[in-house]
Amino acid sequence: MNPLNPPAGVINATADSILSGPSFETKMERLSETEMLLNMGPQHPSTHGVLRVVLKLDGEVVTGAMPDVGYLHRGVEKLSENRLYPQVIVLTDRDDYLCAMLNNWAYCLAVEQLLKVEVPARAEYIRVLVGELNRIASHLVLIGTFGIDIGAFTPFLYAFGREREMILDLLDQVSGARITYNYIRIGGVMADLPAGWTEKAGKFVAHMRACLKEYDDLLTYNPIFLDRTRGVGILSKESAVSYGVAGPNLRASGVPLDLRKMAPYGVYGKFDFEMALGKNGDCFDRYLVRRNEIEQSLRIIEQALEALPAGDILGKVPKANIRPPAGEAYAHIEGARGWLGVYLISDGSLQPYRMHVRAPSFISLAVLQEILKGWKVADVVAILGSIDIVLGEVDR
Amino acid sequence: MFDYFCAIGNMGWAFVKGLGVTFKYLFSPAVTVQYPYEKLTPSELFRGALAFHPDLCISCDMCVRACPSNCISLEAKRNEQTKKKDLQWYRIDFAKCNYCRLCEEICLTKPKSVHHSREFELTFTSRNDFVVEWRPERPQPKALEPGQEWVKFLTQGRPPGRRRAKSPEGKK
Amino acid sequence: MSFQTPWAVLGPAVPSQTPEGIRRRYQRSVLLVLFLLGAVVLASVWLGEPAIRFEALMSRLSELVARKGWPWWVPDFVRLIVPCSLILIFVQLVPVFVLWWELKVAAHIQVRLGPMHVGLWHGWAQPLADGLKLLLKEDIVPAGADRWVHFLAPIVAFVPAYVCYAPIPFGADMAAADLDIGVLFVLGLSGLTVIGLLMAGWGSNNKYSALGGLRAAAQVVSYEVPRVISVLPVVMWAGSLSLSQIMAAQSGLWGGVIPKWFIFYPVIGQVSFLIYLICAVAETNRVPFDIAEAESELVSGFHTEYSGMKFAFFFMAEYAYVFLGSALGAVLFLGGAEPLPLMRWLPTYVVFFGKTMFLVFVFIWFRWTFPRLRVDRLMDFCWKFLLPWSLVNVLLAGLVFLVRWG
Repeated sequence: MNPLNPPAGVINATADSILSGPSFETKMERLSETEMLLNMGPQHPSTHGVLRVVLKLDGEVVTGAMPDVGYLHRGVEKLSENRLYPQVIVLTDRDDYLCAMLNNWAYCLAVEQLLKVEVPARAEYIRVLVGELNRIASHLVLIGTFGIDIGAFTPFLYAFGREREMILDLLDQVSGARITYNYIRIGGVMADLPAGWTEKAGKFVAHMRACLKEYDDLLTYNPIFLDRTRGVGILSKESAVSYGVAGPNLRASGVPLDLRKMAPYGVYGKFDFEMALGKNGDCFDRYLVRRNEIEQSLRIIEQALEALPAGDILGKVPKANIRPPAGEAYAHIEGARGWLGVYLISDGSLQPYRMHVRAPSFISLAVLQEILKGWKVADVVAILGSIDIVLGEVDR
Repeated sequence: MFDYFCAIGNMGWAFVKGLGVTFKYLFSPAVTVQYPYEKLTPSELFRGALAFHPDLCISCDMCVRACPSNCISLEAKRNEQTKKKDLQWYRIDFAKCNYCRLCEEICLTKPKSVHHSREFELTFTSRNDFVVEWRPERPQPKALEPGQEWVKFLTQGRPPGRRRAKSPEGKK
Repeated sequence: MSFQTPWAVLGPAVPSQTPEGIRRRYQRSVLLVLFLLGAVVLASVWLGEPAIRFEALMSRLSELVARKGWPWWVPDFVRLIVPCSLILIFVQLVPVFVLWWELKVAAHIQVRLGPMHVGLWHGWAQPLADGLKLLLKEDIVPAGADRWVHFLAPIVAFVPAYVCYAPIPFGADMAAADLDIGVLFVLGLSGLTVIGLLMAGWGSNNKYSALGGLRAAAQVVSYEVPRVISVLPVVMWAGSLSLSQIMAAQSGLWGGVIPKWFIFYPVIGQVSFLIYLICAVAETNRVPFDIAEAESELVSGFHTEYSGMKFAFFFMAEYAYVFLGSALGAVLFLGGAEPLPLMRWLPTYVVFFGKTMFLVFVFIWFRWTFPRLRVDRLMDFCWKFLLPWSLVNVLLAGLVFLVRWG
């Protein structure tokens, strides 16, 4: 057989084997006469990484969907079992590479719970500052890539190429890296803010506000964009709660749940901000919640810059040989994509006995099977873009 | 009927507003940095390629243990006269290094014997070259300026394989 | 006007981003663009009307034929072959130029610089380099492809684009073939390209391509209808289907002030122009109507499985159609080669290219501003919005012309 030109039966056989595989046999019914199977990904421009979605199509209409994850599995949780406690922070950077600061934070909170360390006030404020900046950067990626998924390319270059780049520059000046910060440390932060940084951050807040107006003109209230997103991919309150979705996706469905408000960690209790809420849980609401959350984050940053106290940046933590007492801890924060939880078991040694990350995008991804059905191929891309997944975090 | 025309008018206005934003930026100066011709200055804390000073190192192994990706290795020999450990060789595998600063933070010497330079243009053309080796008998490195060619600071450390082939000892 | 710039917040990242650096660079590029425009205009004025020169050459050739006793058909043959070859060369060059224009406009809209390296000045040779790359690339035919359909599709897509240029009047007396049914010819033939897209979608043995090809077929066939209807008022007004006569009908001034272009005809002109513009964008499968390509949904739609020169043919067809749609729009609504009142000294083809490039700019401007419509909404928009309004427009035009000219 010529491998470059196999007979027709062979090609059909591959489609059949996909269908009859153990996972798809059970999850998707057999194809009918008018249906076809479309493999979206793992190499596809808008699956945001290496996600594979197997779609069952009737013409353009999706009649079944199966997200298939695991292409980016690096075993972060297992790897952390033979890393020292400070070394695991480096791994958490790679979990959700769009908001590494928040990952650092969640992990450090868990270790601090084990160690029972007090974090100095200045370090807490710095954490809020960099965390919120990173949250804005992450939401900007959503605004940009969601635009691309819908077909508008220019907002991507404004949000991703300009504003996010500025945030990365600010965080670079703080931590020395642009994406994988390794900045928030057990008991505090790595380094103090450099001179002049607070003024720059203050200027950035004003700049970002002006930019949000431009995004509104360009994307948010564009009739085509509204037409593509309103009423598409509705995730009802009930199913959002039952799937365990959290964060902006849940708030878009109208459930007021924000850890920064409900269970304030760090110094979040001291800030005055609102929870961005949606109504219908469609793609537009999911987008709008993020867009409004940027505004709220800017408010928090402004207040934190004003109230930034002087003092130490690192609590009383040994420089080497961090050895928490045996026990377990669970800490969760409001990540850019939802509840970011870290569960740690310590056996009293230098390395965690077990670490587990509650990755918000993994849980959001589970919703896909339900909300993709009945929409068109074009909507699949919009829905996938709006639930804002990061495959680094999904597969870990 | 009136509502219908209002809706069309609003839509048209929204389109015009969007077009206005892009038209405005058509005449704005670009933010692009023409990379090979102009280079950004890295920030003060920037974590660039690791630099190593063999004469400062006390071979304490702290960096080797602190490294999360096992990219550092060294060998030391105990000097019977000074009761200290003499560094034999020090290797960094830049293919593994993930630029996390943990080795620099843990380093006990002052100034730090292993630290991040502000060099961001580190490139290698072969997989073997990623392993860079330093030895104390080599001349002391100069201060690292940003924008300096990375080769200059790596003159003290070279890939082990390449060194053997080209060094004068190899010819003997 | 206030621009949101990073260096206003974080300080200049590189020396060229200091206020003086930006101003200097800006001034330099504006001066350069003005200088180049001036040079082109001066050169064209110096060269004069090519049609007149060509006629002069032809009469000399006829004399030569008569004197030397060459066969009688030589002048006719030359008259036939020269415009054809010129158009063939032109159609090859149009994508090169329009692509560069698009790259640069898109880049500046997105606060980038775009290609700056190839050709040493603002990347003018980038499209040529791209073309060369595509020529040298391996031609891949996917396993299980319908080989002949796969092979023929780019040709079927490209040839109509080339033929459509025949009746376009690039200036006074500059149409390669001044057909009496020019409008019909262009609109009819440009619809044929969709067969090529459909063949590409079918022949690639790829589900994405198949979806793209089918989408393209549905879209182009639908948008053909309001497009043709939107052109009707112009035809009724000018009383001819010949492009050069439509152009001639638009010479002169209304009330001594407004150029007598059809776009300035109250209500009817603007409505037909808008519908024409929308449909022209849709016909070329570009954003916001690029559902057939849909980079983010169908990877690249019908040309996912094409590489090398075959891909280049699709690419050239697209850009040729962008130029064609703009040229047709310029002829039908903007008076074609009719200059503005005070610019009579300009050669007609410069005027024509000026208007066409403006419309091409509008195409590009749309592309880099708007999101993409969904398939069903696209059809809704065509059949439920554009078609009724274009029909109303034709009715209105008929009434107005009937009342005015009795």
